[in-house]
Amino acid sequence: MNDILKVSDQLTALLRAQGVGIYETCVSESEKQELNTEKADFNLFRTIFNCGVSVTVIQDGKKGAASGNDLSEAGLEKVVADAMAAMASAIPDEANVIAEREEPEVFRTGCYEADMPRLYDSVKAMMDTIGSDYPRVNLMTVIADHTNSHKIYVNSNGTRFEHFDGAYSVGVEMSGSDGEKNTGLDYAGVVTHDLSTPLLSQGSLTQHLKDTEASLNSVPLPGKFEGTVILTPDCLGNFIYMLASNYIMGSVIMEGTSQWLNRLGEQVASDKVTLSLKAQDDRLATAQPFTGDGYRSEDVTVIDKGILNTFLLSLYAAKKTGRPVTKNTSFALVMEPGDTSFADMIASVEKGLIVGGFSGGQPGANGEFSGVAKNSFYVENGRIVGAVTETMINGNLENVFKNVIAVSREQVCDGSSVLPWLSCGGIVISGK
Amino acid sequence: MIQDIITPQAKHFADNAQTVLRGHENRSRRVVLLKGSLVQNARSESRGISARVTRNGRYGFSSVASYTEKDAETVLKAATENALFLDSRAAKARAGYPPLPAGAVPAFRPVIDTEQKRLVEACQAIDQYIADKYPGLLSRTVVYTEDSQDKIIVTSDAASGHVTYPRCYIYVMMTAGSKAGAPVELFKAFGGAGCFDDHFADLKALEPGIDKLYSQLMDKCEGVYAEAGEQTVILGGMMGGMLAHEAVGHTVEADLVLGGSVAGPNLRKRVASDLVTLVDFAGEAFGKPAPLPVYLDDEGTLAKDAVLIQDGILTGYMHSRESAAHFGMEPMGNARAWAFNDEPLIRMRNTCILPGTHPLDEMIASIDKGYYLIDSGNGQADLTGEFMFGVTLGYEIRNGKLGKALLDTTVSGIAFDMLKTVDMVSDNVTWSSSGFCGKKQPMPVGMGGPDMRCRITIGGR
Repeated sequence: MNDILKVSDQLTALLRAQGVGIYETCVSESEKQELNTEKADFNLFRTIFNCGVSVTVIQDGKKGAASGNDLSEAGLEKVVADAMAAMASAIPDEANVIAEREEPEVFRTGCYEADMPRLYDSVKAMMDTIGSDYPRVNLMTVIADHTNSHKIYVNSNGTRFEHFDGAYSVGVEMSGSDGEKNTGLDYAGVVTHDLSTPLLSQGSLTQHLKDTEASLNSVPLPGKFEGTVILTPDCLGNFIYMLASNYIMGSVIMEGTSQWLNRLGEQVASDKVTLSLKAQDDRLATAQPFTGDGYRSEDVTVIDKGILNTFLLSLYAAKKTGRPVTKNTSFALVMEPGDTSFADMIASVEKGLIVGGFSGGQPGANGEFSGVAKNSFYVENGRIVGAVTETMINGNLENVFKNVIAVSREQVCDGSSVLPWLSCGGIVISGK
Repeated sequence: MIQDIITPQAKHFADNAQTVLRGHENRSRRVVLLKGSLVQNARSESRGISARVTRNGRYGFSSVASYTEKDAETVLKAATENALFLDSRAAKARAGYPPLPAGAVPAFRPVIDTEQKRLVEACQAIDQYIADKYPGLLSRTVVYTEDSQDKIIVTSDAASGHVTYPRCYIYVMMTAGSKAGAPVELFKAFGGAGCFDDHFADLKALEPGIDKLYSQLMDKCEGVYAEAGEQTVILGGMMGGMLAHEAVGHTVEADLVLGGSVAGPNLRKRVASDLVTLVDFAGEAFGKPAPLPVYLDDEGTLAKDAVLIQDGILTGYMHSRESAAHFGMEPMGNARAWAFNDEPLIRMRNTCILPGTHPLDEMIASIDKGYYLIDSGNGQADLTGEFMFGVTLGYEIRNGKLGKALLDTTVSGIAFDMLKTVDMVSDNVTWSSSGFCGKKQPMPVGMGGPDMRCRITIGGR
């Protein structure tokens, strides 16, 4: 292991020796231990030692950046030289600045030390339970790891953040199989600090297993109709990401292609929608105490009861557009719960789908989307009829969050987000 | 290029184990100009050593982010310990795999570093050309992106070698407003395998492609929505390549076959019309270097072409050494790793549906009402072969002629059903190689295909 405090100081000295007045650096090291299974049999154990160094330099409005993983003196000299070369070639831009000074702080989050025998036993117990309780689930792969990292961020305004972090991550790829019948692929995962709670009690792992078995019984869905869609928490996370990419993130604000460009403070979604980014929420295992720009992270409510509060802007995007910077780059999503139970949500659907996944890519700038509903179930007269295949859903991204019928009171925390089920109307559903 | 400190370390390989030691460097360069502003200007390099040790069919893997003889010893020891950890807890051994012929593959293409200044200037020149010629655009983005892999692979029981995979691209993205005021986008990638001067020594050569992109964007601004439902279409070569990769290629990766893909029960059965032959090319395709040539994989398998569908019959899968032994087939060099700390996975290389005999004009003339779907922004497929592709560029076909452009839409279907409807295949192939395939790790892949007339479901309201 390297002494990255010393490396960080060496880097600062090199930059000062080059006469660089404005800079930021990040030095990190990490260790990942990862267990892999194939068909419920452990087949691969990986140990990965990694490190990294990144340097950004600014002079006369010109910015250059370089990164590498060689922490030797020669490696640091090269990354500084590369950053300087990039800066020399750059175009001056007044938006190239670094964050103001923040009080230095050392952050310690999560579980830094790995307990691999215990992780092995937890995964083994999970696979044994799946084998006995979900015999028609084909457990394709499980990837379970512990990763710890130690990172130091420094900038020339005097900010120095140090972060020690560690977490376990478990991802399960599965399909259903019963004689001649097979389902598509499904995936579920959790990030956690907690190996004392059975893995199947965390996140939505158990729900995915049930859904995979239920997907073996598919029903034809002929024709086309406009109906209600209930997005599962996993699928809702995907839709929120698409929403952010189309309307809220810095790139579309800088491009000027966001349809919400002039709608700050306005009602852009149903008043049932309150959506935040919470980098240090106790329920989450993906802590990000400071941003990539070097700000101490702050919780940000992006949409509050349907009102658009803020865009998601890096320091550069903020300066470029004359708007305030967003001091949160975590994408740790938390949507506030509603007052309807998931069961009541289903019961109120006359005709529609529970959508567990969306295969459709990023919608165009106008928000129109069209794609295949994956891991989805047809609902009629308040009752789940069966799984569907070859079924498409079409609609407008903005309208999904405007035409909200209900938000569930239940939330699912998978360690990286806390999300409810959300039902919305006006979606065109077409079978084969 | 990285120096060979790896080969001498074979002396540390353990007995009674199958070992691969890999020295590996990745480089990337990225410049992004958004409406003339330089929003990214970065260089990155990462290097390290990994070892994979197989004992009783279980793999131990370890890597370090540095590159010395001592590091090689360290990862060999750690990988061995990891394999022993799994073996000690297992009730029974896993099936292994046999040794392969030895061989030595020499480095065939240097990774040439280009000054960052030239990369920025190239993007500026292209951006200026677009800004001057097409001032009415809502937005324009020019991206230079380059990535390369440089690997030294030494094995205990297969081939070894030094391989390099540089590639670079310039992406041009344009956004204009439709009559209704909604933003409409298109993008195009220029470049391919090789280094900056292989593709961008003369930037004027890109101008016809940029002009064509603008013309297509203007068509799209006047575009109409495609009629939803099952339609007769010509899938353009880019779409055919996407189909070859996403909807068929993934289902015939042996690890996904073992996971229950639709290809499992369909081996040696008809899965497409007899006009369809699908090959995953290794080093060469059609007598020329493949778009992203591969000569040696990261398990030490010398790369060969893998014929997956022959005249409509599913004939084979893509393999690692272990899966090939499981199925009793020959490994063709598909086990590849992206970075020094990645283990090899079964990956495609240059997956392509072979051309047929029909001129494209004749195919268009054969359709009274349908669509010519040219380009795709994204695609996804499932184990069942159910696929979805976004269509970013297409035109109506009316009475045998191209009509209005299409606004963004999607197509979907079941690959082995849809491929049986292919009844005309064009005499040309269009390749793309700029993307990454995602499967635990990113991986550069080439994909290609001819124009194909078929029936497919178009999404929409």
